[in-house]
Order: sequence, then structure tokens, then C-alpha cells
Amino acid sequence: MLTKQADIFTETRIEDEVVVMLLSTGAFLSLTGTSAAIWERIDGTRDRDSLVAGLAGEYDASDSEIGADVDSFLAQLREAGLIAGD
Amino acid sequence: MTQSPAQALLARESRVGFGPVPHTLEGTPMPETSWYLAGDEFLLRAHGGHYMHYRKGAGVTIERGPGARPEEEPLWLSGSVYSAIACINGFVPIHASAVCHDGAVHAFTGPSGAGKSTLVTALAARGLPLFSDDTLVLDPSGEGPLLALPGHKRLKLTSEALALTGAAAREEVGGVVAKRYAEPEQLWTGGPLPLAALYFLEAGDTCAIAPLLPSERMLRLRDGHYTTMQYAAHHQLDAAQLFAHLARLSAAIPMQVFRRPFAATRFAEGVACAEAHIRGKDTPTPSDERQAGGQC
Repeated sequence: MLTKQADIFTETRIEDEVVVMLLSTGAFLSLTGTSAAIWERIDGTRDRDSLVAGLAGEYDASDSEIGADVDSFLAQLREAGLIAGD
Repeated sequence: MTQSPAQALLARESRVGFGPVPHTLEGTPMPETSWYLAGDEFLLRAHGGHYMHYRKGAGVTIERGPGARPEEEPLWLSGSVYSAIACINGFVPIHASAVCHDGAVHAFTGPSGAGKSTLVTALAARGLPLFSDDTLVLDPSGEGPLLALPGHKRLKLTSEALALTGAAAREEVGGVVAKRYAEPEQLWTGGPLPLAALYFLEAGDTCAIAPLLPSERMLRLRDGHYTTMQYAAHHQLDAAQLFAHLARLSAAIPMQVFRRPFAATRFAEGVACAEAHIRGKDTPTPSDERQAGGQC
């Protein structure tokens, strides 16, 4: 399951944007649209495949279309140390 | 004019007396131009031998060190001391200069030298009364839009700004600041007003006012200015708590970026753009993203 590394960041949602701040550096991550939707669904109850399936249904897109976006974004989050799991 | 309770509180807490002021913190001498804020107490060692000490309920005590020039005291009293008093008494100071129009405040912020005071001086000459210069104090205690408190009305302008605005120069500000005091042509003499908008001043090739994403607002608010640092110090905010505070401000205050040419020869364009926007008379643009902004 995908989980957030809650001890290294803080976040807020204002209007249509999720703003994540890395506590160690103060760097901001701005998430809107699909990226915000992916981030908010990482809650320890979904793995990559169930995340893709849920978003594909919501955005009326194919798993392959959503999958590429999800994989790319998850890679960025892993590189930043923000998430763990599969 | 009858003051609001908030105005009366700030005025009362800002009363000045003279006497000895601590020169050290825990046995260590305070460096020149440094301040210390903890709990309900603020200590300032200002440039030029000025020592100022504020304690909640006790006002401000000033000690004039060797060579201290009394005419420099207003600079500190209306700046970092005023900001600290605001923080300690439940208000939120921000680094901004403001005018008012139609019952609301329009504030301009940006780094030192961005032209905040110059712009509001020019706007006041065009019929938008000066509301506050350099520090704008917000009152978060009520329901609804954040209220701004009328602030210090003596403008501090460089010689270039005086020439651009035509404002009448008064005495030198003093200290390390190469500015002169000036009086605005129109001045707000009423009470607190809701804050309609905060504009971040930036240089641009043309005049334009555009909305900002919340993250962009928060980054700009995280400016390292003493108003932010004092607020964080009084409330003992860690990084996450300061983030939450900036998020609340970003959610509560409409914020936009105001880009205009910085060249003196194009100063009037920027003033006209700001005035038109505040008066609701700027030209709408076709872009959906700029529905909340305008182009002059």
C-alpha cells in the first residue's frame, strides 16, 4: 500500500490547490488537478493499481492513460521521500 | 474621532516613557540593530544608540545611549516596535502600505525598495486616502473579512520618490535610512476597514494585475521581514505552524501580483493602473485566468 511519510512534510488545501511543504528544506510542492487527486488518495488503503483504477473511473479515462500520469507522479513523490510502498 | 477598541489598545500600549533599558540578554550584550521578542516582551537595540523596551501593559521605555538622536526615535517606534506591540496584543502585522477606497483597504507589499510608499503617496494624491505606511496591522479577532487598522501616516520617501510624486518633503528620517518624511495629500481619519486586497509589487514590462495560486501567495508572504519573524517569535511557531499561519492568511486575503515597469519615466503608468483597478475601472481581459485581475 502507498503511504505518506507524514513526519517530513506538512500540507494545506486552499481553493483548488494542495500545497505541501518539506519540513527539512521549506520547499513547496504545488499540486492541482490530477496531481492533487492522486496525492489526496494516498492514505495507506490503496496500492498503485487501485489508485489508477479509481482515478480512471473518476476521470473517464483508460487505465493506461491514467497509469502513465500516476507512475510519473509517484516517482517524483518517492524521489522527494514523501511516500513509501507500492 | 472616536477610536475603535483595537485602535485604543494599540495607542495605549504604544505610550512612551524614559528610563533604563536592559542592554544584555542572559548576560550577552545585544548586537547593534538587533531585537529580541519572547512572551509579552520586546527589546530593541537600534542603530545609533537607541534602546527600546516594550512590555505588555507597561508601554515602551526608551533609553537614549551615547550619541542617540531623539529625532530618530519615530523610525523605530513606528516600525519594529509598533509591529512587536501588534504581535504581542493579538494582531497580525504585515509589511505593506495601503490606501482605502469605498470602505475597504487596498494594500501593497514587496521587498524594501519595491516602491510601496511611493505608490501609495501617488494614489493619495489621486484621491485614494492613505491608510497606513510600511506596516499594516490586521485584526483577526472578528468574523468575516479581516479588518485592517489605520496605521502610521507619515510617509518615508527617498529623494527620487519625492520627485516622482511631488510630495512635500519634511525632516530627514534619520538613522541609516536616506529618506525624508512626507505628508500624504489625503489621509484616512476613520476607523478599521476590511482588507479588500493585497498586491505583491513586482517589476514587469507592462502594467498588469493577475491572480496568484495559493502556493505563490504563501511563498511571497514568507518574506523574512521582521513583521513575520516577530509574529513567529511571539507565537513560538515552528516551520509547520508558520506554514499553517501563512495558509490562513492566503485563504483569508484576496491576493494578486501587480507587475509594472520600474523605470521612473513610466511611474505614472503604474499609478494609473493601480488606481483604475482599485476603482474597478480597469479593462477586463478575455482570459479566464485573469477574470480577477485586469490590464491597464
